[in-house]
Amino acid sequence: MDSWVRFNSQSQAKEKVFRAAQYSCMLLGSTLTKSRAASDLQRIVSDLEAHMSLTRKLLRLGNSVEALQAAKRAIHLSDGVLRLCITIAHLNRAMYFACDNVLWAGKTGIISKLDHHKWSQRSFRYYLFALILNVTRNVYEVCLLLDGEDRCRSTKLSSSPSDVLPDDRLSSSSAVPATSPPALMFARLRRLMGQVGAVLYNNPPLLLDLLKNSCDIFIPLDKLGLYRTGPAFVGTCGLLSSVLSIVTMLHPWLKLKP
Amino acid sequence: MDAVVKFTSQSQGRDRIFRATQYACALSIYLLRNNPERKDLVNKLKSLETNISAGRKLLRLGNTANSIVAVKQAMRLSDRVLRLCITAANINRALYFICDNLLWARNVGLILSIDKERWSINASRCYLYSLVMNLTRDLYVILQLMLQKGRDNHFKQKMNQHLSESPEVAEVTIPELDAFVFLLLETLRSEPTVALDTVKNICDLFIPLDKLGIYKSSAGLVGFCGLVSSLIGILTLARPTLRIKP
Repeated sequence: MDSWVRFNSQSQAKEKVFRAAQYSCMLLGSTLTKSRAASDLQRIVSDLEAHMSLTRKLLRLGNSVEALQAAKRAIHLSDGVLRLCITIAHLNRAMYFACDNVLWAGKTGIISKLDHHKWSQRSFRYYLFALILNVTRNVYEVCLLLDGEDRCRSTKLSSSPSDVLPDDRLSSSSAVPATSPPALMFARLRRLMGQVGAVLYNNPPLLLDLLKNSCDIFIPLDKLGLYRTGPAFVGTCGLLSSVLSIVTMLHPWLKLKP
Repeated sequence: MDAVVKFTSQSQGRDRIFRATQYACALSIYLLRNNPERKDLVNKLKSLETNISAGRKLLRLGNTANSIVAVKQAMRLSDRVLRLCITAANINRALYFICDNLLWARNVGLILSIDKERWSINASRCYLYSLVMNLTRDLYVILQLMLQKGRDNHFKQKMNQHLSESPEVAEVTIPELDAFVFLLLETLRSEPTVALDTVKNICDLFIPLDKLGIYKSSAGLVGFCGLVSSLIGILTLARPTLRIKP
């Protein structure tokens, strides 16, 4: 009970729970449509989804300011690429929230004549840019970690040349007599995938963030019409990324820093 | 800006801002109701108020747990009267949240077999009882502080000085009343937390009293009282030293 109260008292946490519920409704709605269930139930589910969406918009009313502050903090990072990616991602998020606030004002009737479609597309565009930058940052961090591992391995090799490392021995023994370029490339690719897998396995925050961003990216891609997947897939991706966010909130050590 | 962000990152902070906005809209609608030129604005304010109210109902979905935790904490208090008042107030609040959640489910269409009117009255009743218990607690704390202050020698000197000066004031015809009022004001001035909590609870009291028909006041008064209590709530959240303890 205590931990729920503490979790709930964070404004972000409630928003993530409602996001999970909203995408579950989307998923449920598409399942009901496919199974041709009663239109009453479908209407209730879609109404619930719209209600949660509007309330989340209400809850997000001050978030542009938070995103701008996060961007200000990110300017002080030492690594140039990270600084660029994170700052611009936060700025895009701030613009997304601003468009979202305008959409809320339009839906509640404060702004009477609003082109909902135009502003919705605009907000999804900013969201997509922010996600692309987040994924770029994830990929950059994976590359950094791979580089670090390679350097670590090469220093070990140079310090004890007679001692062949077990993986190298294994890879060299199991390696196909690589005479053909495609086979060589395939072996190299497999080794790279293995290394990436190991790096991600040893860095759960990075893995969670990459998974979350990869799931999230399908939402604006579908809404902007760039890669249409359908409400069932979008709902699943949204639900999965919300659950991952909730997990990072419950266990702050799983949050990717900075 | 940092302080604003920190305040709004608390779930309660945002809810209090929304509450203040909701009652400000209600007050503005009442003030502009007879103005034909502002019909558009009035409609927009009505729409805003409805949307914020609906949004707040959804946001209140997990709040029963908060009241139950507060009940558990209150059971550990040493003072019996305080323990009783705070426990009863929080139990009623928990019941109010349960009624409120059921009304939300009814509004959204998840549960259709609920009598909206009856549960709305139940919710208002639970809210009224919790406010009455909170006020009882406030009065008890004020009485205790007044007794304590009355025994204080430094204060006795101050009282004698006050009673001996300005004899032409009307209250002095009943010196005991004058002394009582002076003691009460001095107590409230030295303990702003209790004063703020009392004012907040008195303002909040008008809302369920109006809804239950016990004391029908105008929509304007309800809006004004709601706005004042929300602003006090925002103040106590922004400055935790002004919050009544326990």
